[in-house]
Amino acid sequence: MKMKTSNNENSVITKKDLKKMFWRSLPMEFSWHYERQMHMGFCTMISQGLRKIYKDDPDGLKAALKRHLEFFNITAHVSPFVGGITLAMEEMNTKQEDFDVSSINAVKAALMGPLSGIGDSLLLGTLRVLAVGIGTSLALKGSILGPILFLLIFNIPAFILRYVCAMKGYELGATYLEKIQKSGLMQKFMLAAAILGVMVIGGMTNELVSVTTSLAIGSGDSATKIQTVLDGIMPGMLGLGATGIYYKLLGKNINIMWIIIGTAVFGIFCAQFGILG
Amino acid sequence: MLQAFLLGLVAFIGKCDLATGTNMIQRPIVLGPIVGLILGDFQTGIVVGATLELAFLGQYSVGAFIPPNVIVGGVLGTAFAITTGKGAEIAFTMAFPIALLAQAVDNVIFSIVRPFMGKLADKYAEKGNARAITIIHMGTGFITCTALFLITFFGFSLGSSQMQAIVNAIPKVITNGLSIACSLLPGVGFAMLARMIMNKEVVPFFFLGFVLSAYFKVPVVGIAIIGVITVFLRVNFNDNNNLVTEGGYDEDEDF
Repeated sequence: MKMKTSNNENSVITKKDLKKMFWRSLPMEFSWHYERQMHMGFCTMISQGLRKIYKDDPDGLKAALKRHLEFFNITAHVSPFVGGITLAMEEMNTKQEDFDVSSINAVKAALMGPLSGIGDSLLLGTLRVLAVGIGTSLALKGSILGPILFLLIFNIPAFILRYVCAMKGYELGATYLEKIQKSGLMQKFMLAAAILGVMVIGGMTNELVSVTTSLAIGSGDSATKIQTVLDGIMPGMLGLGATGIYYKLLGKNINIMWIIIGTAVFGIFCAQFGILG
Repeated sequence: MLQAFLLGLVAFIGKCDLATGTNMIQRPIVLGPIVGLILGDFQTGIVVGATLELAFLGQYSVGAFIPPNVIVGGVLGTAFAITTGKGAEIAFTMAFPIALLAQAVDNVIFSIVRPFMGKLADKYAEKGNARAITIIHMGTGFITCTALFLITFFGFSLGSSQMQAIVNAIPKVITNGLSIACSLLPGVGFAMLARMIMNKEVVPFFFLGFVLSAYFKVPVVGIAIIGVITVFLRVNFNDNNNLVTEGGYDEDEDF
């Protein structure tokens, strides 16, 4: 079967590059951390493609590498899909003068939440549990087939999905972006991406930045739990407040390491006096 | 000594799960039999591995949730089950506290060491050095592999009763404090992302997303769907001249 990567003749990214991206996506979670999560994994996945796209533009490459070291998190197995769309957008950036690069990260943000939702429930919630069920039922009887089947049941579909994601993401991105560009809708598309992106970030802020206070006014049965009061006003407001403070601090060009160390010290302080947690 | 070294190696390779496509080789059901092979009791390894797999079923990293470390817990739990001869019953009571100990180490690495590596990667991005970023990315992963190797190596060398004592000795304040910090830190990532894509026009939509999640408990997939609907309500895709951006809008009205 012959695959058409793009309608555009002078498309830089080839099927070979997409295969490379598939392999480079395997260590996606290898350097995961709390602050920017899979950012280095994502950058590693697409950096070969970026180098090709910005071959004659070292400053463009620098900016792109920085751009893709921003926050990223997803069900690892579907990550190449976002990688492909991202490469298509980066390519568009080199072709179109007034392309707003911030829309690239907006699209990434808009995709990672929903794709993780589907990916987690499909792969980790369903497929993994199925594999564990069959694997353990055999292994508990002492059969080595248990672990082997466990690995096969999970990995065959997971790797096929990853490969399809790697191949289709770019194709989809390139085809649609070209259509959008030709019809002059690019500026609207960028606004749309930004709206969708920040909405998903807003939702994820509530889901993932979750702190509660254990402080109470009064004692015994008559004590009023502050968290209950806060929840009555606005659930998740502590997490939102924390994110807001981080947003302000980042605007002041404070070194991120101080923010992280400060957070660790603050956490221990709060645990000592029972303020949070 | 050789056994401790080999078990450490198993933990090291187990962590490489995440370097080879999140393929589940880190789970107890896979590592258990290998531990059994090293300690000369393959059958028990398979059975204990499966028992621990079921016990740790819910302990899987989803989103920003970092569970007790199943690699160290699984390897040492299976190992002690075999060496003490008490089988699957003791495996979990040993595995869980050890997994919690290793989780504390994970949390230090994930909240302090790795963000520092990320900062280092930023420096190389500034120089346009993509290869260096890849090397830092992989190196960061292997640091954790090495940490797990060391915990498993020393854990097995010390023996089961010593391990228990160490687990109990860590002050609660430190572990609780770090777990609070860990629930705050994703906020830094979101704030950075918001700094890149936020502009005056879209600020309200950030809060719309937040409110949908906080008050109405809409899952992220639902928020994305509402987001798409919002986009169609807000952005007029059909009329090419009528751009919704502030500047173009007024000018077009004159025509």
